Amino acid sequence: MAAIFNLNHHASYAHWHFFQMSVSNIIVIVLMLAVFGLAIALRLPGAPKPGPNP
Amino acid sequence: MSTAAPKSWTGRVRERAVGALPPEKLLPDTQPAYVTSAIYLFGVLSLASLVVIIASGSILALKGPGWWHFTGVGHFFNSIHLWAVELFFFFMVVHLWGKYWMAAWRGGRARVWMTGAVIFLVAIPCALTGYVSQQNFDAQWISTQAKDAMNSAGIGAFFNLLNFGQMYSYHVLLLPLAVVAIVVAHILLVRKHGVVPPFEIKGRS
Amino acid sequence: MRGRRQLDAERYREWRGEYRSYDLVKEASIALGVVALIALVLTILFSSPDEKPSTVQSWARTDPVDFVTTATTELDGSSGTGGYGPPYNHASSGQHLWFIHLQKWLGVSHPVDTAEDFVLAPLRAISGQPALQAAVTRYESAPANAQTGWTSAYEKGLTKASATASGSITVPAGDYGPLPTMMSGLLSFAQSGGLDGALLTSRQFYQTDYTRPLLFMADGAVLSNRAQAEHLLGNQWGMMNETGSYPGQVWLWLYTFWYQIKPFSTSANADILVMAVMGVLSLALILIPFIPGVRDIPRWLPIYKLIWRDYYRAAAR
Repeated sequence: MAAIFNLNHHASYAHWHFFQMSVSNIIVIVLMLAVFGLAIALRLPGAPKPGPNP
Repeated sequence: MSTAAPKSWTGRVRERAVGALPPEKLLPDTQPAYVTSAIYLFGVLSLASLVVIIASGSILALKGPGWWHFTGVGHFFNSIHLWAVELFFFFMVVHLWGKYWMAAWRGGRARVWMTGAVIFLVAIPCALTGYVSQQNFDAQWISTQAKDAMNSAGIGAFFNLLNFGQMYSYHVLLLPLAVVAIVVAHILLVRKHGVVPPFEIKGRS
Repeated sequence: MRGRRQLDAERYREWRGEYRSYDLVKEASIALGVVALIALVLTILFSSPDEKPSTVQSWARTDPVDFVTTATTELDGSSGTGGYGPPYNHASSGQHLWFIHLQKWLGVSHPVDTAEDFVLAPLRAISGQPALQAAVTRYESAPANAQTGWTSAYEKGLTKASATASGSITVPAGDYGPLPTMMSGLLSFAQSGGLDGALLTSRQFYQTDYTRPLLFMADGAVLSNRAQAEHLLGNQWGMMNETGSYPGQVWLWLYTFWYQIKPFSTSANADILVMAVMGVLSLALILIPFIPGVRDIPRWLPIYKLIWRDYYRAAAR
């Protein structure tokens, strides 16, 4: 079953001093941080918005 | 039925269980009004990922460890299993971050935090046994490398990463059982103690 | 401080404020559907990697010089496995942390005699080759210093060896005793696929234990060459990576980090040192509720004000 995007080729790597990480892993980490940021910024679906000041 | 305290083991277990988790606590249909942030979704998303892992893993187990190398359907379920694992760790880590910044261990909830951390730490060797059960180059490399860490701590004496039969047994039965058992304890503790209340801010409580 | 902690424990034990309705089973069902859908989409987009395993046969065919060199080091015990120590043999006492020698204390539970298991026993199983058997007998009955003389000389010669088109190797002339005949026999046996089976089924018919063929291959370059090309080596942060361009094991970032820096990167005890550090940090993760300072950071850096902002705004009115 062929995938739409073939990831079976060598990955690209980011280097900084002794640190190196694959672009795929960097994407996952960035996504995690972004999702965390969104999660604390957004409300639960269906949660009531606070009403106007009485 | 007698209203006196039960003397039988069964009666005592029942009284303790129902006392700690009456039905309305076990399956509540209300939640505290302060639960409005989307961060609260990540526990149930982690649990859902675990269910998908176990379901796809069960299908892989039905046909045996070699199946996914030779059929498209087998490879499909292997892919679901792998991506569900990535999602499980993804959601679990975001859940952990959220719970840390909420200091969710407050109010007698230390065991909730502790069981959660143990789930994370047991899931890692569970994933490792999966990686070395793949029966491909990745499994060959990971097992021959990770064996040095195991051997250095003496663990290699009874946990041989190069022994496929042993690793498959750990991966398919023993470690998933351990993960599920601790997840059940974690969830029951959350139901028992309730979701942690917000920090009180002076002048606003 | 203890008084405040106890007050806190009581203050936050139970929520006595407002509740609103909530459908737990519905939320869990929707979450399950969403996760299954995301996994399905990722599967359709990217599938999963499955790089074929190396075999002793493929190794012997594509790099016969490395195969023969490794086999010779297995014969004289100078290979990685030969000098490993427990759980395979007593050649060394293994890694340790101060006075704690867990590797040694847990003992030799998976004995591997590299000369016997990887070279001599497989050779003796080959029938119909009297010259080969004579070479093996000559090697086994020679005194230890003769054996070492031959293997050391052969290993030196092998550094200048080359593979021929037919799959055999040519080594510069030297005093190698029966080794060229033995290694030529072992190489042919490996290239025919016989050695994969001989290493695996040496103890019983049904096998699930790949310890011997994997240790043998790991002593050579066949696996590490492939690993280097895929950025899976330790000093390439390989623990976090997957073959191809797939995302790997991002959660192992801290575990592999220690291996990149001193003193771990240059220590012979790197593995036990890193295990110890990660063991302590894992315990600390579990015990965060009890660690002063770490448990207070959420109070000092109030991300919680964002999470519970609706509640605080409502309470302020």
